[in-house]
Parts: sequence; C-alpha cells; structure tokens
Amino acid sequence: MNLVVCLKQVPQQNNVRIGADHTIDAGGIEPIISLFDEYAIEEALVWAERIGANVTVVSIGDPSWSDSMRRALAMGATDALLIHDAACAELDTHATAQIAAAAIRRIGDVGLVFCGRNSTDDETGAFVPALARALGWAQATYVGAIQQLDATVAQLERHLEDEVEQLEVQLPAVLSVVKGINEPRYPSLVRIRRVARAVIPTLTLADLGMAPPVPATRVVQRVPPAARPASEILTGDAATQVRALVDRLRDAQVL
Amino acid sequence: MNEIMVIAARAADAPVPDAQTRELLGHGRALANAAGGVLSVIAWGPDAAALARACGAYGADRGYVCDGEQLAAPTTDMAVAVLRAAVAAGAPRLIMSAASFRMRDITAALAADLACGHIAGATDIRPDGDQLLVTRPSHGGNVINTVACAGLAVVAVRKQSFAEASPGAARAVALVTLDVPMTSRTRVIARRPRAGAVNLGDAAIVVSGGRGLGSPEHYHALIPRLAAAFGGAWGASRAIVDAGWVPYDHQVGQTGKTVTPKLYVACGISGAIQHLAGMRSSRVIVAINKDAAAPIFRVATYGIVGDVHEIIPLLIAELESRR
Repeated sequence: MNLVVCLKQVPQQNNVRIGADHTIDAGGIEPIISLFDEYAIEEALVWAERIGANVTVVSIGDPSWSDSMRRALAMGATDALLIHDAACAELDTHATAQIAAAAIRRIGDVGLVFCGRNSTDDETGAFVPALARALGWAQATYVGAIQQLDATVAQLERHLEDEVEQLEVQLPAVLSVVKGINEPRYPSLVRIRRVARAVIPTLTLADLGMAPPVPATRVVQRVPPAARPASEILTGDAATQVRALVDRLRDAQVL
Repeated sequence: MNEIMVIAARAADAPVPDAQTRELLGHGRALANAAGGVLSVIAWGPDAAALARACGAYGADRGYVCDGEQLAAPTTDMAVAVLRAAVAAGAPRLIMSAASFRMRDITAALAADLACGHIAGATDIRPDGDQLLVTRPSHGGNVINTVACAGLAVVAVRKQSFAEASPGAARAVALVTLDVPMTSRTRVIARRPRAGAVNLGDAAIVVSGGRGLGSPEHYHALIPRLAAAFGGAWGASRAIVDAGWVPYDHQVGQTGKTVTPKLYVACGISGAIQHLAGMRSSRVIVAINKDAAAPIFRVATYGIVGDVHEIIPLLIAELESRR
C-alpha cells in the first residue's frame, strides 16, 4: 500500500502584501511547510513504518516548493511529486482537488492520503473533502488520533470543537490531521545532506493527461483589513488605570 | 436569486434554530426579499420537522426535512446525501451553513459533488448582478478577499457575521420530506464531549495570557481567576502552549482558535502576527503589557502599560467590588 501526504508551502508569517492586481505578495517572508502538514507527514511516516508502506509527498506549486518537499524527504518520505503548470496560478479548492486526485491516481495503490487540517494561509479546510469526493473515497477530517490501520479500515478519532467522534473509516480514504496528533520529527543532518540536491520529479497537467480544471469561484479583490479604532493608553498609577479601564468597558457595554 | 437555503442547526435544549442559524435566516431573508425569492431551511435529525417549523418565525418559507435518530449527528456521507436530495428537490442559488469543523467538512464535500463554488469562513454575502460576491478573510485576517461565484454557491459563514433575525409573525413553513437511503463509508462508534474542552469560539469574553506571565504557575494563578471575574473563558498564546504551560485547546491564533468575542483581554502577550490572526476581529480589545512598544497595543482599544503581576490582581479586585 502507498501512503500519500499532500503538502502546501506557505509564508511563515501571514503579514503578506497585496499586489496591484490583487495577487498575494509574500516576497521576503520565509516559505515553510504549512504547520498542520508537518503533522500529516509525521503521521504518515509513523504508519508507513508500522505497516510497511511507501510515503509519497504531493504538491501543486512552483519549483521553489522543492525546498519544502526536500524537507519532507529528509523527514523520511520515500518519494516526492510536484505538479507545476502555468495554468495552476489561481486555482480554487475545487480545481486544486481535481489535479491532486489525478496525481494520486497516477501514483496508484494508495490506501490513505494525509493532509493538514487547513493551510495556514488560505485557512479553508475544504481541500480534504473536495479531494476525497474527487477520488470517490471516504473522508475523515480533524483527526486527532489514529488507533488502528490495516489494508481495508482505519479506526480513528475526529477532534471537533467540543466533542470527540470515534470513527471506523473504510479505505481508501483521505484524512486531515490536527496539531497535537503527534510530535513531528526533525530531519537528521545526515538525511538533510542526502536529499540536498535531490531533483523533485515534476509533472505538468498534460503529463497527468488533464486539461486545466475550471474553477467554480474566483477572487476578484483583495484588500487589507479595515483599521481598528485608535488605541487609548490609560494613564495614572496602576489603581487609577484599572478603575479607568473598568469604567470604559462598562460604557462600551461589554461588561 | 430564486431560492436560498440555510442548513439549520438546533439549539442545545429545544428544536428551535440556534443563534447562528437565526443570523443566517436574517441575512437569507433579506437576500430573498431583494430578489423576490424563497428562503428555505434544511433540517435533519430527530425533531427535524419541528426545527424547520420553528424557523418560520425567523423568515423561512419552506423546509426540507429528513428525520431519523442516526441523523442527530450524521456522517459526512449521510449529510451530503440529505443535502443533495434537498438541492434536487429545490432550485437553490445559495446554500449557507455555520463554519464549524463539522459543517466545513460536509459543505465542502457537497460542493465537490455538485461541482459548484465553495467558500469557507465567509463574513458577508451580497448579490452583484448574476453573481454572488462573498467576503472571506485569509492569511490570519491580514487579507480580505472578495470571491465571485457565478453559479450555485455553498458558503460556510463565520459566527457573528450578520445580525440575528428577530422573531416575527410565524410564517407557515411548507415542509418537503426527503427520503434518503442512509449508506456511509464511515461509521460512528462513539461520541464523547472533549475532556477539558473549552469552546473559546462561543465565549463572549476571552482573557488570554502569554510569556509575560513569567511562568506556568503565574499563568494558572492569575488568568483563570481574571477570566472568572470577567465571566469569560481563558486562552493562551502559542508560545506558552508550545512551552507546555497550557493545553492546546486554549490556544488563540493562526494555528489555534480564531475568536471574535465582544471583549478580548490580552495579558503579557506581545502580539505576534500569529496571535493577532486569532483575535483581531474582537469588538473591544484590552492589552496589558509592560512593553509600550509591543505590537498588541496597535490593535488594542484600551491599553495599560504595566506589570501584569501588579495590574491583574487589582483588576480582579475592581471587577469583584463592582458586582
């Protein structure tokens, strides 16, 4: 059985700039693996070791994403596959999921796909359901523990806002994991050196035998958030500041 | 805008719409009125019909209902089957739901099956000619996106995006019973409340602490007590969650929870971008920090430049004395 991890590279900090044509400009911000995807990689590696499977990391991005993919290889992933195509510049979830599904079908014999609960830049959490439905597979999102995994079924827990749901999931399936499911390993220096010059296999949409999928939505504008009202710094000694604060909170009707 | 559908959620104690469903009904009614259209609700689970009828007081004209004990908290496959049956029975232009984890999961799967638009974590929806424009923050609230959708849009909406509908003269809700075969590739073995779960997202007041508290002992001696004095929940910055002072459930920020309470009190938190992402949309923000240059003061409504160990006990005493 093959395991797949879908990985997204994101800016480490979200203080991005907005370009004139409403594009996101993350220039100067260090690119990293989206935090929740690190947990997905770790979980896939743990289960691959237990059941004897390969782990392939899949991304849809540009060649600069190779650094993040090499990090996943250094953590222990067996293979990496990057889908890069000029037609992939501004895709919505629906279109991205179509492409990822085609890549996963190409890998073949995939039992389980691991993803993070959401990317830390777009923050939708919609990719995993969209991917599962594109593949025609079962889905389990917000997974906080996997107790058992064999060739046909997984026993796991979904960690929702206020309850834990114990689920039995028929494979193949697509999962998203939350922070805290494990403690992602640091790649060893030996492994980092070993993959430092690894060339990440890269395919275009034509290689996958597909036309560019048609997005169902498009972003027509991006603006910064409205400025917050000016701050009032309270003055006087500590007791005066505290009394003034409680007065203002009462006036603002938040107490 | 012929038909607008709201996926109804019931209040914990009765088959009536919960607070966010009332928000979605209020906005849905306004959109339907503007277009001369119909507002429908989709309700599932035990008491589905009673819930749909109760939505009549908040503007619903029609109810698609699917009864059954196993739909009290359906699997994704079951919920999508119910929703697809409702879509097939009606002619929706827009389907709105809450943006909880469960509803993000279900609505994204629905949109994938229908090959239609899905927007998660929206804060506004408005018509623009033949298309819908949906506002959606991303990048920790640093970017406000306007997303256009020309066909059917499935939108998971953040809490407190719209004013709650006030109860009016109850409309007679025309019920359409959905008969859906219940097959699922996932099976729920058990459900249990999360041990030590804190639903920060529902709290009207959130009091959070950070590194400035100095130690886990100081955090636990001061922050839960201050939260209790405010009648709120307690949160934490990523730095001290990662340092093991406080469980992850309490983390506010980009990789924790996003909260929009009416009052957010940040104690000893410098205001890293990661933290601001999770709380900058709160109505009133109070910052207490000894560093006057801390970025948290840039989003604060009221700031106290001072030592949290001195200010917090005074604040607890002041709040308790004014009860």
